Amino acid sequence: MSNNINSSRLISGKSFFNRYFRLVKHIDYSIVFLALGLCILGLLIIYSSTHQEIMADGTTQFAKRQLISILSSLLICFLITMIDYHEVAKIAIPGYILSIILLIYVIYFGKEIGGARRWIQLAGQEFQPAEFAKIALIIFLSDFLSRQKDKLPDFVYFSLPLLFAGILMLLSYKQPDLGTAIVFFAITLLIVFIAGIRWQYIIIVFLTILSLFPITWSLLKDYQRNRLILFLNPERDPLGAGYNIIQSKVAIGSGGFLGKGLFSGIQSQLKFLPSQHTDFVFAVLGEELGFIGALLLLTFFILLLWKGIRIAQEAPDLFGSFLAAGVTSFLFVQIFINIGMSMGLMPATGLPLPFISYGGTFMVSNFIGIGLLLNIHVRSIFV
Amino acid sequence: MFSQKNKKKSKEIIKKRLNDFFILITLCFVIILLNLWYLQIIRGKEFEQRAINNCIRALVEEAPRGEIYDQQGNILVTNRPAVNFSVIPAEISNYQTLTDDLSSIIPIDSASFLSKLKNLKQNPFQALTIKRDLEKDKIVAIEEQKYKFKGTLLTVQPERKYLYHNFAAHLLGYVNEVSEEELKSTTFDNLIGGDMVGKSGLERYYDSFLRGEKGRKEVEIDALGREVTILKSQKPVAGNDIYLTLNSELQRFIEEQMNGKKGAIILSEPHTGKILAMVSYPDYDPNIFTQQITLKQWQEIAQNKDNILCNRTIQSVYPPGSVFKLVTAIAALEEGIIDINSSVYCPGYYKVGDVTFRCWKETGHGSRAIVDAIANSCNVFFYTMGHRLGIDRLSHYAKLMGFGESTGISLPAEQVGLVPSQEWKRKTFNQSWYPGDSVNMSIGQGFLLVTPLQVHNMLCLIVNDGCYYKPYYVERIVSPSGEIMEQFEPEIVKEIDVAKDTFRIIKEGMRRVVESGTGYLANIEEMKIAGKTGTAQNPQGENHAWFIGFAPFEHPEVCITVFIEHGGDGSATAAPIAGNIIRKYFQLKYLQIVKG
Repeated sequence: MSNNINSSRLISGKSFFNRYFRLVKHIDYSIVFLALGLCILGLLIIYSSTHQEIMADGTTQFAKRQLISILSSLLICFLITMIDYHEVAKIAIPGYILSIILLIYVIYFGKEIGGARRWIQLAGQEFQPAEFAKIALIIFLSDFLSRQKDKLPDFVYFSLPLLFAGILMLLSYKQPDLGTAIVFFAITLLIVFIAGIRWQYIIIVFLTILSLFPITWSLLKDYQRNRLILFLNPERDPLGAGYNIIQSKVAIGSGGFLGKGLFSGIQSQLKFLPSQHTDFVFAVLGEELGFIGALLLLTFFILLLWKGIRIAQEAPDLFGSFLAAGVTSFLFVQIFINIGMSMGLMPATGLPLPFISYGGTFMVSNFIGIGLLLNIHVRSIFV
Repeated sequence: MFSQKNKKKSKEIIKKRLNDFFILITLCFVIILLNLWYLQIIRGKEFEQRAINNCIRALVEEAPRGEIYDQQGNILVTNRPAVNFSVIPAEISNYQTLTDDLSSIIPIDSASFLSKLKNLKQNPFQALTIKRDLEKDKIVAIEEQKYKFKGTLLTVQPERKYLYHNFAAHLLGYVNEVSEEELKSTTFDNLIGGDMVGKSGLERYYDSFLRGEKGRKEVEIDALGREVTILKSQKPVAGNDIYLTLNSELQRFIEEQMNGKKGAIILSEPHTGKILAMVSYPDYDPNIFTQQITLKQWQEIAQNKDNILCNRTIQSVYPPGSVFKLVTAIAALEEGIIDINSSVYCPGYYKVGDVTFRCWKETGHGSRAIVDAIANSCNVFFYTMGHRLGIDRLSHYAKLMGFGESTGISLPAEQVGLVPSQEWKRKTFNQSWYPGDSVNMSIGQGFLLVTPLQVHNMLCLIVNDGCYYKPYYVERIVSPSGEIMEQFEPEIVKEIDVAKDTFRIIKEGMRRVVESGTGYLANIEEMKIAGKTGTAQNPQGENHAWFIGFAPFEHPEVCITVFIEHGGDGSATAAPIAGNIIRKYFQLKYLQIVKG
């Protein structure tokens, strides 16, 4: 099997071209279709919720900028599909270390927006290193778990990933960005679970978390504690911190079965909703496109996740399986936390919705994930 | 073989775990769907109602502008409560109906009203003032038809009130809604359409001090528009109060003197630069701008042939006439063309080439030295000086005495007038400067144009022996909490290089003017006044009458400039007014000493 990979480097130019052509031919376009479908839905929602700003002055054209993000993300996605994913394993360790450096950098020198330092200014563009760190963590863990399989004692094999993730969690918590810390943790748990951790370990982990809760609680910032309390009982402070959750629920609820139609949501158009083109984009969708629209969105999502799982199952090797599983977990965690938050099922942590929320870095990281899935899929056909 | 088998086994485990993962995903999606069903289908109607009722209003509480006080601490300008009509764009379902309903009660320009609303779409909860200062009957009418005006409200806001109406109108200025050009400029940041700003005079110049900070209130209202909860509240901060150097009694007395005339009068302390009275006539009532005036009303004011908005003390330029002879005299003495004893013979005319320039006294003044020449305002004497000095030296001294440049007073839109030069004439008319032009200029005629305040400053310069105090009228600015923000002190801007002896001779001449010369009508029994008259010919019609003077002659405490537009003869029209005002000044002063 490994010969196959090595020999590919020796083949002539012509057969290289052939191989390249075959790659393109065998890409699973249904995944691309699903991702783009979601993007188009997202564009509509972003346009609907921000068109008033666009009319007022031409400078903040959210939808236009989102379209540019999508197109450039697609290009990156295509490039990633072309490189054999085994090459990706080479950047596992440097990528992980770079993530740590960037997360430290952003704590001290990052651009502050709304009380949190999450952005780095690079060549006139702002980007969030945390989004890249998510992908880097997935690659790093997949590399580690596939390489060390049956080489380390079980306990070490399964607890080291938690330690690796713990460093990133601590750093993103410092920003402060509780949402991203939770995503790191959830992705790691899911990957470890898929790697075959025994149920007794899972129980131990959960018990540890429960017993650590009082300590974690004392480490949380006031506003974070507030969010957790309000998550449990939003009506406690309906006009203060619980406001977002209530307004979001009202928006979704008022959408009814068919929705109010694009540009017609009372809550969305009158700006009752906070961050409606980013974190609360699902509420706008719920209000304007109703239950039907949300159902469509969820169908696209679950089909995409199912595709991810199938690819993980059919991957040619362990690294591919973990990588595909990691990407799928990443998308799933973001989807569930974001939608759950909009409906008051989860604490408001400020995580974007994949392919839908406005934001360039996040879109790129989503499509890097898609690129990896396509890559693994294509290679599984050739083997 | 063993590792191969192991690998297969672990692949199996991973496959199984991935299946479990997908079950977890499905479970989560089912939870989401059930929740959506619950929110959107089961409780959908309830939430829809909630969304409709859900309303927030952002109300602005306007800050009262700072008050304005005179020298004695009497209040001149304050604020009064006014009822304003506002709309909240988010709560209006149909603008056209609202416009129609509203126009049946108050006259509104529906086109500008609609465009105003469109501009405010960005912040749809922000209450926007549509009509200021409603009359009582209109308030009642709106209240009676309240059902028609959903999404509108009547609020009580402070509105400018000029207690004494026309009193010192040009100095105080007026306020009105900020214009679109002003909004675009950087001078008025953090203002929005509909806000009031100073438009002229002190209100304009010290606008940033007077304006204060708006208060903000965000309230949640129910479906009936009643306030349910206050979400945010920030009280307005009143503007700073301004204390003037203005003496109201004198100002009022002078305004009475000016009744029916046009012109400007300035009264100030030469040794400090403090302005005690500053009158421009005809005047207007700044209160009319506070109520929203219609375009027609505005045009009536703006196109008024008497130009009532113009502050004649600084915003209008005139030929100075004979008062300028003092500058010519200073130049002649300083340049050594004459001394105190040199005399010039006046046959009643002066010839330059073929052109004959006449003295105002056709029979001539005979042989006169400078003090006498000033006293009788002998044209021929000054023609001779002007001719000998030439334009370069004349315009040099005119500029030295402050003509052709800003006086530095803290008022907007000051004119600087014109001091002509050879170069200026070449550029403007493409003609060279003729000696006749210098002759003309020597008596303050020709191209020379000045503002009354510039003439007044020249007077102060002479009285102060060349020391130039910046004229000012604001004593101090005090914050609402009583803290002094700015305290203005006499400020020497420059000292000009002219011999003290020259000023002594000029002042002697000026004393002679009132004692026995052209300004004898300014004479009062109580006090020795010195001065100079002027009668300026102008192309617009009747001559302008000037009188500048100071008193007491030995130790001057007050300077006065009287300018009557088309007032005729300076000695007949302006001089007696100046005498009256100076008498009034000292009466008030001694009255105060007696009282004190």
